[in-house]
Amino acid sequence: MKNKLKSTSIFLLFISFFVIFYYALQSDTKNNTQIMVGSKLPNIQLSSLFNPAQKISLPSTENENFYLINIWSSWCVPCRDEHPFLVKLKNDNQIKIFGINYKDKTSNALDFLSKLGDPFYYVGVDSDGSKSIEIGGYGVPETYVINSDGIIVFKHVGPINITTYEKIVAVIK
Amino acid sequence: MTSNIGLISLIISSILSLFILILFFKHVLFGGPLHSKFFALYNASFFLIAVSFVLLVISFVVSDFSIVAVYENSHTDKPFFYKFAGTWGNHEGSMLLFILIISLYGYLFLIFTKQLNFSLRFTTIFFQTSLQFVFLLFLILTSNPFEKIFPIPNQGLGLNPILQDPLLVLHPPFLYLGYVGFSLVFSLLLGGLVTNQYNQNWAGLAKRWIFLPWTFLTFGIGLGSFWAYYELGWGGYWFWDPVENASLMPWIASTALIHSVLVMDKTKKLFNWTAILTILTFVLSLFGTFLVRSGILNSVHAFANDPERGLYILFIISLITLSALVIYILKSAKQTGDENGFILFSREFSIVVNNYLLIFALTVVTIGTTYPILLSVFTEESISVGPQYYNTILAPFVFIFLILMGIGPYMKWNKNSFAINRNKLTSFVLSSLIVTALVSLILKNQNFIFILGVACSLFLIISVVYEFAYFKHIKLKQFNFARLFSHAGFGFLILAITLHYFFSKEFTTKIQLGETSSYQEFAIKFSNYFSKQGKNYQELIGEYEIQKNGEKVILKPSIRKYSHPQQFTSETSIRGEWLSDMYIAMDYTSDASSGIGIRFYYNYSIRLIWLSYILITIGGLLSFVQRKNEK
Amino acid sequence: MKNLLFLLIIFFLYQQDSFALPSQDREVKIYKNIRCLACQGQTLNDSNSDFANDLKKVIKRKLDNNETDQQIYSYLTARYGDWILFNPPVKQSTLLLWFFPVFILVIGLLILYKRTVFGKSKLS
Repeated sequence: MKNKLKSTSIFLLFISFFVIFYYALQSDTKNNTQIMVGSKLPNIQLSSLFNPAQKISLPSTENENFYLINIWSSWCVPCRDEHPFLVKLKNDNQIKIFGINYKDKTSNALDFLSKLGDPFYYVGVDSDGSKSIEIGGYGVPETYVINSDGIIVFKHVGPINITTYEKIVAVIK
Repeated sequence: MTSNIGLISLIISSILSLFILILFFKHVLFGGPLHSKFFALYNASFFLIAVSFVLLVISFVVSDFSIVAVYENSHTDKPFFYKFAGTWGNHEGSMLLFILIISLYGYLFLIFTKQLNFSLRFTTIFFQTSLQFVFLLFLILTSNPFEKIFPIPNQGLGLNPILQDPLLVLHPPFLYLGYVGFSLVFSLLLGGLVTNQYNQNWAGLAKRWIFLPWTFLTFGIGLGSFWAYYELGWGGYWFWDPVENASLMPWIASTALIHSVLVMDKTKKLFNWTAILTILTFVLSLFGTFLVRSGILNSVHAFANDPERGLYILFIISLITLSALVIYILKSAKQTGDENGFILFSREFSIVVNNYLLIFALTVVTIGTTYPILLSVFTEESISVGPQYYNTILAPFVFIFLILMGIGPYMKWNKNSFAINRNKLTSFVLSSLIVTALVSLILKNQNFIFILGVACSLFLIISVVYEFAYFKHIKLKQFNFARLFSHAGFGFLILAITLHYFFSKEFTTKIQLGETSSYQEFAIKFSNYFSKQGKNYQELIGEYEIQKNGEKVILKPSIRKYSHPQQFTSETSIRGEWLSDMYIAMDYTSDASSGIGIRFYYNYSIRLIWLSYILITIGGLLSFVQRKNEK
Repeated sequence: MKNLLFLLIIFFLYQQDSFALPSQDREVKIYKNIRCLACQGQTLNDSNSDFANDLKKVIKRKLDNNETDQQIYSYLTARYGDWILFNPPVKQSTLLLWFFPVFILVIGLLILYKRTVFGKSKLS
C-alpha cells in the first residue's frame, strides 16, 4: 500500500513536470513589453523640435478621440521603414500623432521630416532618453495608442508594418 | 567525401547499437548464451562514433564549407586552435561530442571491469547502449552534423567571437566528461536493479564511476567560472545565470551521491535513497542540456536556440526518466538494505545531514532557475531571479554546512562519537575563533556575517589541517587524501568568497585621455591608446596607469572588432597582486579621443577562489589513489 | 578553556555595526538589482549599452531627489514589470519561489528526526 502510494506520487510528479515543460516550450518566457497597456500614460513635458520655447505636456488634455505617440529618430533605420505608415495613418484616419524625437541631432531630425514628410501633429524632443523611459519605452521605434482618458490602449515595440497598421486602425475605429 | 564517411559511420554505429539491444533481448527472453561478440560489437560502435567525431574535427580544421555546421560556425581567417574548437561550438558538433562521451564511458567500463559479474556487466552495457542509441537517432534524424550545403560557399560565417577563447576550447569537453559521464553509473544502477545485484558490493563498484565524472564536472565548472571572469568583463566569477545553474544542479546532486554511496558501502543503509540520487543526478544532467538547448532560457551564454529541438530532448529525457522509474519501482523492493535508523552523531548520521542540506541547496537552485519558466506557463507574468535570491537563502546554510564538514569525518561509523571528540572539537572552535579575531582586527572589519563566514570556514580548514598533522601516528598511505583535499578546498572557497565579498571594490567612470580619476585608494590615469591588427580582428588598446598606495601598475584592456561575424568584444586586462586582482574592462566606443568609459574592479582574494577550485579537483583525482586500509 | 571562549564571544559581541552589510554604494546596489533590458541576462551595473546608461541617469536623478529604494523599484516595475528586478519581490505569484525551499527544509527535518536513533544505546 505504502509503496503503491509512493510510486503513484512519483509518476504524477513526473507527468506534471513533463506537461509543464511541454507548455513552457510553447510559451514565451521572454520579457513582456505590454506592462503599461491599460494604465494611464505618465505625465511628460515635451518641448517642440521646431521651437524649443513652445512646450506641451502629455497626456493630452484637449479631450477628444484616440491619439498616437511615436518614438523615432533620424539615425534609426527601422524608423525610416515605418514612416510611410505614419503618414498613411495621419492621412487616412485623421488621427493626431505626437512624435517623440529620441536622442537625435535637431538638424538631422528636421532634415528627416522635410525629406520623408511630416505626419506629426507635434514633435517633442527627448534629448537624453529619459522621456521615453518615463512612459516605459525600450528604444526606437515605438508606437502607443492613447484614448481620451489618457489610458494606453495599445503599444507596439519595433517598426509598424502592414499587420501592425491594421491592428492600430482596428483599435482607433 | 569525409562528410559521407562521417555520416555513414554514425549510421552503422546506430545499427550496431540496435543489434546489441536485439542480442540482449534475445538472450533475456529466449535464453541461450549471450552472443560471444556482444562486447566487441559495443567497442566497434564506440570506435565508429569516434571516427565520425574525428572526421568532423578534420572538416572544421580544413574548413570544409560543404558541411552546413562548418559553414555556419567557421571561417578561414580563424586561428587553427579555434577552427578545432569550433567543432563543439555549435549544437550539432556538441551533440556528437555528447554521444562520443556516453560511448567512451561504456568503453572504459568494459576495460576496467573485466573481473565483474558477467550478467551485471552486459546488462550495464545494454543500458549504456540504449542511451547511446536514442541520442544517435536524435542526432542523425534532427541534427546531422554532416548535413551538406549546395552550392558550396566559398567562405564560412565564423564563430561567435566570445567563444574564441582558449579556455572555451576546454570548457565544454570537461563539462561533458562530467555530466554525460553520469550516464555510466545510471546504467550501472539499472543493471544492478535488473540483475538483483544492487547491494553493498554495487556501492563499492559504483564509487569510482561517480568520482570520475564528478572530478571532470568540478573542473569544468571551475573553468567556466574562470572564463566568465576574464572574458565577460563584469568582474565577477559566478552570476547565478541559468546556464551556470544548469551545470551546478547535477554537481550538487552528484556530491550528495558521492556521500550516500559511501554510507551504502560501509553500513548497508540508504539503498533506496542512493538509487534515487543516481537517477536524479543523470536526469538533472539531461535536464541541464534541455534548458541550455531548447531556447527556454534567457541567458548570456545560451546557444543553439531551437524550440523544436527542445521538444525532442524533452521527449528523450521523459523516456529515459520514465524507464528508470519503472525499473526502480519494480525492482527496488527486492533489495533493501539495513532499515534501522541512524545513530545520532555517527559518521552515517553526519552524511545524512550533509545530504539533507545538499538537497535543500539543490531545491533552491532548481526552483530559482525554473520558476520564471513555470510562472510564464501559468500566468502572464515574467520575473527574474538573480544572485540576491540565491545568496539570501543559501548563505546561512553554507555556514552550517562548513561546521558539519569539519565535524563529520571525526565521527565513527555506527557509533555516537560526539563524546570522544568533544575536546578536539572545542579546540577547533577556540582556535578558529582566535584566528578569526585576529583576521577581524587586522582587516578592520567587524561585520557579523564576515566574522561568521571566516570563523566557519576556518573551523573546517583547521579540522582538516589537524588530521594532516596526525600523520606521525598513522601511515601516509592510510590518509583519505581525496576527502582532505576536497574538504579543505571547500573551506578555502567559502573563505575566499567571504573575503572577496567584503573587500572587493568596483567603480565605473569615463576618463579623457591624459586625465586621472580617483576612487578611494586608487588613482587611474588614462595615459595612452593605440590600435593593432589581429588575425581576424582589429583592436583598440587603452593604456591605464593605476596608483595604489604609491605602487604603480599598468593595465591594457582593449576593444576588439571581429570581422566574421562582425561583432565587438571587450577584452579585460588583469594584474594580480598576491591573491587579489586589479581588473579593467573598457566600454565600446567609436571615438576614443572623447574619453572612454571603463569599469574598474579590485577583486580581493579572487585567486584563492581559483586555488580552491583546483584543490577540490585534486581531491577528486586523489580518490583514484588506492588507500592502504581499503580493499 | 571555557573562560577563553567566553572572552572571545565578548570580543565579537562588542564589535560595532556588526549586523550591517558592507556600505556598498547605494547606487551600485540598485544597479546590481536591475536587469538591463536591452542586453540578455546582464545587470544594469555591468552594462554600458545606451539604454542602460539612460536608465542609470534616470535612477541617479531619483537618488539625488532623495527617493527611497522602494520608490525607485516601484517606478521601474510599473513601467517594465517585475522582470526588471533581479531580486523578485515576495508576493502571491512568487510565494512558492520563496517558501518551497522552506517547505523542503521542514519536511527534510521531519524525516531526519524520524530516522535518527537518539541516545547512546550502541556505545561499545
